[in-house]
Amino acid sequence: MDAFIVAIRTLHFAACASLAGVGAFECLIADPALDGSATAADLSRRLNSLAWISLALAVISGLGWLAGVAADMSGQSLGGVFGSGAVGTALMHTRIGEDWRLRSALVVLLALCLAWNRRRGRFAGDVAWIGLALSVLLLASLAWAGHGAADEGTDGTIHLVADLLHLLAAGAWLGGLAPLALLLTAARRDSASGMTAAAATTRRFSLLAVVSVGVLLASGIVNTWYLAGNVPALIGTLYGRLLLLKIALFLAMLTIAAVNRLRLTPRFDGTDAHAALARLRRNALIESGLGLGILAIVGVLGVLPPGLHTEPIWPLPFRLVVSALSTGALVMLLIFAIGFCVCGAVAVAAFAAGWKRPLGAAFIGLIVCVAFGGAPAMPALVAAYPTTFFAPSAPYNASAVDRGAVIYAQNCAACHGADGRGDGPAAAGLPTKPANLVQPHLFAHTPGDLFWWVSHGYGSVMPGFDGVLTPTDRWSVIHFIRARAAGVIASGMGPAVSTIAAAQVPDFAFESGGVQDTLSQVLAEGPALLVLFGADAPIARLQQLGAAQLKLIAAGLPVVAIGVNGASQGAVTNPPYVVGLSAKVAAMLSLFRNDSDGGETELMLDRNGNVRVRWTASGGGLATPETLAADALTVARFSGAAPNHAGHGG
Amino acid sequence: MTRHLAIAMAFAASLFTAAPAHAHAFLDHANPAVGSTVPAAPADIALWFTEHIEPAFSTATVTNAAGERVDRGDAHVAADNPAELQLGLKPLPPGTYTVHWHVVSVDTHTTEGTFSFDVGR
Repeated sequence: MDAFIVAIRTLHFAACASLAGVGAFECLIADPALDGSATAADLSRRLNSLAWISLALAVISGLGWLAGVAADMSGQSLGGVFGSGAVGTALMHTRIGEDWRLRSALVVLLALCLAWNRRRGRFAGDVAWIGLALSVLLLASLAWAGHGAADEGTDGTIHLVADLLHLLAAGAWLGGLAPLALLLTAARRDSASGMTAAAATTRRFSLLAVVSVGVLLASGIVNTWYLAGNVPALIGTLYGRLLLLKIALFLAMLTIAAVNRLRLTPRFDGTDAHAALARLRRNALIESGLGLGILAIVGVLGVLPPGLHTEPIWPLPFRLVVSALSTGALVMLLIFAIGFCVCGAVAVAAFAAGWKRPLGAAFIGLIVCVAFGGAPAMPALVAAYPTTFFAPSAPYNASAVDRGAVIYAQNCAACHGADGRGDGPAAAGLPTKPANLVQPHLFAHTPGDLFWWVSHGYGSVMPGFDGVLTPTDRWSVIHFIRARAAGVIASGMGPAVSTIAAAQVPDFAFESGGVQDTLSQVLAEGPALLVLFGADAPIARLQQLGAAQLKLIAAGLPVVAIGVNGASQGAVTNPPYVVGLSAKVAAMLSLFRNDSDGGETELMLDRNGNVRVRWTASGGGLATPETLAADALTVARFSGAAPNHAGHGG
Repeated sequence: MTRHLAIAMAFAASLFTAAPAHAHAFLDHANPAVGSTVPAAPADIALWFTEHIEPAFSTATVTNAAGERVDRGDAHVAADNPAELQLGLKPLPPGTYTVHWHVVSVDTHTTEGTFSFDVGR
């Protein structure tokens, strides 16, 4: 099924790109360059035939694509979708069907234009321009069948526009290569005026290619950001690696284009013009082949989940921690990175043009950039593992922490200690002291690093739990360890707003006034104040906060008050803000409150659940509503670390 | 200058962390919430997805612990939100219920998933 969709998508992209490419070649390249020459009439017929073949392939592959999509969406076999009416449903009741109905109309109009031009047997004229417009629309409408169509808002618009430009530029360049090869073939036969015509067309085509390459680069970078927007997704997923292969093919095409422009085209005026023409024609065919390879990769990419939605397998034994770089080192690194790109571009151009000295200089520059650019990065390199950038498969929430606490007690506490300080009863007999799991250093490692160690062990001392615990259980114990360490870090915080996102409170569900709510839904609006108390509800404090409700709402600060001692829940008779929750959640939240705090602990969380400010009844006292409102405005400005993609839902 | 550097650092750091996620419809949240316990039996269930979904090919079912269907079989996309799927429920006695959803995003990608919620205590 997937192989069918891949093949059909590749064919459809190629056919539509070819239609637009032929149209653009006729109107923008051949017509102005060849006006009235003998080559023109011959070429016009050939291009018209190429357009008809492309149109036929576009229709067949378009139908096949719709059938394949209908089969995929309905879960039926490819043979069954016509009989069951799934194709009809897909055509009449889905967004891609709407797109396909519009495209069918374009195909009919385009066929009329081609027939009209065939009869007249010459280039351009108004009908050719109309044909070009129709084929451009046919190609552009493919953007709505791509990943960009699903986005919304500004991001969706940017992605869609980038997709559109990428398609059109690819059509103009890739689709123009076959017409160029046809022209060069025709020019070889007609040697007198042919050579002048070939030279004129090639120059014009180079210009079109340069513009297309610029557009392809810019729009390609935007699309890469949206679909594989970080380094792990780019080098650690199949999607990202195919994208890199596509970029490599693109660079190969670019090198050949540079050879054509810088080395072959100037020779058209010289004595070996025929040899140059033959090589140019051969190069156009090689470029077409590379272009087909790119389209095949596009066909595959469309059926793969984008890199951001799959777990990246990190291929390197180290990673760069950008936040560990000094400002100077970062500047150095950026300078050398830019230098590397410039030297690379110079090297390609020098190679294409056959300039020996600039080529040597560019190579030396590349070596210098790698050698000296690596040095400032060295201190920021830390060990990494294949799972380093994995997102937890279980969400970071109270039930995972609760489950993790039980698993920890059974499997980890003997060495790491019940409190996680690395001083369990079995620790004394070990050659290496077990890690202290409540130090802030824990957060220098990604959850994926911890997953690797829990799964495969650490050094020769810690065993791996790969075959012992399920992946979900391993993530749960990691969530518990991180929540406990977060609680320890939070207990060291005070009434000054922390600029560091260091202690994230796990998500949890609660009930307020008979309505189900979760911390993540409260935080979606901005910061929140968690009031945690023990056996006795702080009625006076809650009434004070209740009286200041309007002021706090104006500052965007919802208040959630929770008795972490489960027994106190029943005793509270509906004071403001107090919510009901399960014993599991109460147990998790008690990680963030010490009995020594006095009556209550108040935590102001940023929108990602990180504790930013902490007040306790015993130490320093609680904040006035005015202070809370002022701090909420400060905390609202922190974006904090983005939550993991796998952080919510099922 | 410092400001520009801060922006450059933030950008460089972002290359290793966050980026917008798009293109497949995943469950964003649900009511009753994923894994939650509701005191009273809900009359319907709503699922919010991260993308707009195709009404013709998106559906959900709810089953009880014995595997019997307890939904009304009327899964439909909300009139006012193309990313929300709604489904009516039969009267539910206390127990654990499993929601299975299977949706197609408007860019034709199919996704599915399962979660559960409890009614009563």
